[in-house]
Amino acid sequence: MMAEMIKSLVPVEIGRANEYDLKITWQDGHVSVYPARELRLKCPCAGCVDELTGVVRVIGTSVPQDVHPLKIHLVGRYAISIDWSDSHRTGIYAFDLLRKLCPCCQAGHGCGCAKGSTC
Amino acid sequence: MAVTTEHVLNALRSVHDPDLKRDLVSLGFIKDLTVQGGRVAFKIELTTPACPVRDIMKEEARAVVAALPGVSQIEITMTSQVRRSVSGAAGDQLVPTIKNIIPIASGKGGVGKSTVSANLALALAKSGARVGVMDADVYGPSIPTILGVTDAPEVDEQNRITPVEQSGLKVMSMGFFMKPEEAVIWRGPMLHKTVQQFLGGVIWGELDYLIVDLPPGTGDVQLSLCQMIPITGAVIVSTPQDVALNVAQKAIAMFKKLNAPILGIVENMSYYLCPHCGKRDDIFGTGGAKQIAERLAIPFLGEIPLATPIRVASDTGRPMVLTDPNSPSAKAFTEVAERLAAQVSIKGMQGELTPEVKVTF
Repeated sequence: MMAEMIKSLVPVEIGRANEYDLKITWQDGHVSVYPARELRLKCPCAGCVDELTGVVRVIGTSVPQDVHPLKIHLVGRYAISIDWSDSHRTGIYAFDLLRKLCPCCQAGHGCGCAKGSTC
Repeated sequence: MAVTTEHVLNALRSVHDPDLKRDLVSLGFIKDLTVQGGRVAFKIELTTPACPVRDIMKEEARAVVAALPGVSQIEITMTSQVRRSVSGAAGDQLVPTIKNIIPIASGKGGVGKSTVSANLALALAKSGARVGVMDADVYGPSIPTILGVTDAPEVDEQNRITPVEQSGLKVMSMGFFMKPEEAVIWRGPMLHKTVQQFLGGVIWGELDYLIVDLPPGTGDVQLSLCQMIPITGAVIVSTPQDVALNVAQKAIAMFKKLNAPILGIVENMSYYLCPHCGKRDDIFGTGGAKQIAERLAIPFLGEIPLATPIRVASDTGRPMVLTDPNSPSAKAFTEVAERLAAQVSIKGMQGELTPEVKVTF
């Protein structure tokens, strides 16, 4: 149905890959592992990315090397928000953004997905 | 041959719920089945009291059981138990006693969202469901006028609000806290807080359906609502003309983006029946909403006519579903409410099959 999201864009489970990193298992069976700091640097909030130009504003050197999620909350049916160890918590990571950010999909290996595709 | 419960259940397996597309036994609808000699008694527990095919299913069930050899008497009780779709941590925390949350949305203003919201809520309540109405149109709250609410809600020391009870509905509106000549002039964060307060700060009690009358458009209130709780699904109201339908599609796109299900589209002001000559006039065109529903594979919930009595009823706070239930307009609202309840049941069923996202971090 048009009103439903496609399977590759809805997670089944959002949990830990290890102490710091995030793991998402998607409805299509794909598993994405996000290194914590990379995900923090991809925060889509208006403080980290300019709303109009899309220019990244978050300064990498200001984010601790060991930054990691403390708590993850569901936002409605379409996203998660993350309380980070550096006190940042304004980003809302929509499921479709997370799928786009999947490291192995972006690199185009491991999962059989084309480079840059959203699978 | 003596009748057994197995015989009865086997017979009832041939009766299907046309909306849920499964038989009454595997759906778990048959309760308290007793067989004593030739006397068979059971309950059919539907997923909504507003089931449009309630009577048909009851008669089908009666017929298949009556056809069993040895059955002399059948007693069927129809009950209902609305299932909860607003689940998960957020829903449990904010609205633990509300089973389904249904925002009524539109792209454009003035298409009759509030009138549709009020009458749908009343039709659901008349069927026996426990229904609340949350008027989330903070800029132009119309629900108090349409429902004829004159009481103010009570606020306790902890700032918790007891909704006003009117015509069997629990009602909450920004209009209760403002004088008619005042205006709400707020930025987003205040709207977000209000939505939060209206959900978690109101003592709703047990509700089968909470109907949320949204402001028009795709703004802060809609976004806050969809972020705070996993809503059951939205209803889109549109008039038939292109200018309204084009904007209605934007509302649909918003809910889709937020992964919020669309329960269906209602075409309001669908046609005009002249009270003098009885001739039908399609003032805004007709059938456009149905076409869009078909194109987007969204359920079409029905057409509401453009009728002077509906306008008068809304302005005087005496909704037609209550005051003139046999009028064509009231019947149209009731039919839409039944189709909506059926869609909620279908969504509830699908929700059981696809569990919600599990967060273990």
